[in-house]
Amino acid sequence: MAKQKTEETAATPKESTPVIDTPAPLQNGAKPNDQGKPQEPAVKEENVHLIVFKLGEEHYAIKIEQVKEVTITPSITRMPRTPDFVQGVANIRGDIIAIVDLEKRFGIRPAPVTEGLNPNVTYTLVIEAKEYSIGIVVKEVPQSLNLAMSKIDKTPSFLQDTNIKDNYIEGIAKVDSKLIIVLDMFRILSSDEIKQLTGK
Amino acid sequence: MKSREQEYKEIFIAEALEYFDSLNRHISELEKQPQDDRILAEIFRLLHNLKANAKAIGYLQISDVSHKLETAFSLIRNKELSFSDEVVTVLFDGIDMLGELITNVDSPIPVEPDPVLLRNLDIIVDSLSDSTIELAKVQKYTTTKNLSLSDLIYIQIKKLDHMLNLVGELIIDRDRIISLSRELNNDDLKVVSSHLYRITEELQYSVMDARLVNIGTLFNKFPRIVRDIASAERKDINLEIQGQDIQIDRNILQIITDSLLHLVRNAITHGIEMPEQREKAKKSRAGSILLSARNDRDNVVIKLKDDGRGIDLKKVKKTAVKNKLVAADVAEDLPDSEVLSFLFEPGFSTADEVTEYSGRGVGLDVVKNAIDSIGGRLQVDSKLGVGTTFTMQLPTSIAVKGALLFEVDTIFYAIPLLHTEQVIALDKDELHEVGDVMVADLKGETVTVVYLHELLNADEATINFGDKTRLKGQVQNIVVVSYNNRKLGLIVDKLYRQQDIVVKPLSKPLDKVDLYGGVTLLGSGKVCLVLDVPAITRYFIQKR
Repeated sequence: MAKQKTEETAATPKESTPVIDTPAPLQNGAKPNDQGKPQEPAVKEENVHLIVFKLGEEHYAIKIEQVKEVTITPSITRMPRTPDFVQGVANIRGDIIAIVDLEKRFGIRPAPVTEGLNPNVTYTLVIEAKEYSIGIVVKEVPQSLNLAMSKIDKTPSFLQDTNIKDNYIEGIAKVDSKLIIVLDMFRILSSDEIKQLTGK
Repeated sequence: MKSREQEYKEIFIAEALEYFDSLNRHISELEKQPQDDRILAEIFRLLHNLKANAKAIGYLQISDVSHKLETAFSLIRNKELSFSDEVVTVLFDGIDMLGELITNVDSPIPVEPDPVLLRNLDIIVDSLSDSTIELAKVQKYTTTKNLSLSDLIYIQIKKLDHMLNLVGELIIDRDRIISLSRELNNDDLKVVSSHLYRITEELQYSVMDARLVNIGTLFNKFPRIVRDIASAERKDINLEIQGQDIQIDRNILQIITDSLLHLVRNAITHGIEMPEQREKAKKSRAGSILLSARNDRDNVVIKLKDDGRGIDLKKVKKTAVKNKLVAADVAEDLPDSEVLSFLFEPGFSTADEVTEYSGRGVGLDVVKNAIDSIGGRLQVDSKLGVGTTFTMQLPTSIAVKGALLFEVDTIFYAIPLLHTEQVIALDKDELHEVGDVMVADLKGETVTVVYLHELLNADEATINFGDKTRLKGQVQNIVVVSYNNRKLGLIVDKLYRQQDIVVKPLSKPLDKVDLYGGVTLLGSGKVCLVLDVPAITRYFIQKR
């Protein structure tokens, strides 16, 4: 898939747009930032384009370059004797990929079901990392967000203080009053956990 | 379909013409740089191969002329013959004649090599010092050559791999379309999809066929290998080879190459006794090894049989008990086939004393793993003092396999037919709780039976294989699988059909999950998990 450069899209941080506005899955090649939003003149500062989603009560984000597509979660086939956080496998356009529940992976308490949200419809972000591709299930429609690089605090002090092993958090962004945790997808599954998958 | 001989002949001609082209190129280069040893060596190699190939297929004139040319070039290489103008002319003539012979191999009027030229070749070879004998003028008959391109092409196996993968994808989509056309009940669509079915099937077989090679390409390397190992071990060995022209997928052959070499080496170093020992045991001085291949339905069976000292089961039992693979009292009553299966335990045969006694060296588990990886089966039979036989059962193709489909706890599974022994329906009362497992009597054989739902889905802490009350319903469908000489009955919830499936390997990170050999997509679009019988068996033994 063509990775689209996002530097020239310099929308304000407030401008977050839903990634999926129809129930149909995105077609191949249709990137979530093709929403036809009016573009403001480019500023010099480097921007980063994020896909923002909710896990538990918090907002998390992944850089759009690492997201291959966002789709309504297809039917998942459970795979017995795999770790808890692996929900199973699903057929996404002929590719069979692992579907992962990050709430379970990170031990995040699931949020109570939001009013008016169909609990049977979830969304899957298909992630292409160096070593693997996986699908991440989220309950609410992921949002697209453009952000100046400088808004992401790459070295928040708590990362040094707390004992978060495997540094999968790339940084913390503050947008208005919201706090967004930017994940480094390449580190989301540690090699230990990949080993754990052998079921031994 | 062309006969095998015709196919060989075409391959020979195509290769020979290629050699001929290279010879022409190289000798022209050599004429310019007579001192270049590399070119000379290459010419030498080409002529040598051509000679050997021609002789093997029975074109003696070609091998004869090649031989004469080879001799001439060997003299040049040893500086006993100078690369002078006269000699060059004769050599060029000789190579032209080779070309002539090769292109006319198939013609109804046989072409005879020009006697004058043959004489000239003999002259330059024989009369080294004496150059008084005149070289006769050879009549040029190939002044205007026909340029022709070979009928054969070489193709990278990678490209064929890619094609086979694409065919696999196509088959999955085809099955989906057929199932849709049934659902929609549209006649046009049904006609088109049945046509699609036939075409994809033919395409699949064509691609599979293009990947087939003769097992002889591997087997024919063994006479030399056996000779070398035998002479190093100071043993006499007669090697007999059967079924060289059985065909098998090139990649499968590649994967088993090391395994077969390993087994052959073991048979010679550990299996076959020294000549004196053999005489004492009233056997012929020379040990015999039989390497054979044959077709068995869709599979290829390769057998390696020696008449050596065989495997001492008592010693194997002792070591198994010592290595804590089995309790001493259990070991006593184990059937021979199960005792032999210990040989494939990792590290089992590395212990020196076992190598000494049992005669089977290091790393049989590696051989086993290689064969497991392509979905094949390895069996061993042995009789003390009489000999040992290894039997490999291999699929002819990697991508498409026959499999049995079934359901456990609403999930679809498949098991490759190569690993299934039989399918049987038994009443719950025919299953017996013995210790911590269930057993059933299958035609006089007591086979361990396990409820697959319990094995796959029960909480690992409370897993119980011996509890009949956990079964659903009265009649139990059992798929009997076999791995490593051990049978295991798997109780499934619903049994479906037998079907050819295209196994897709699991992508990272799931490729590390060894319980599953891959997945396949059913016509309905559903994902079906392909169980890996070796891993399931290991998992069961470990949880038991």
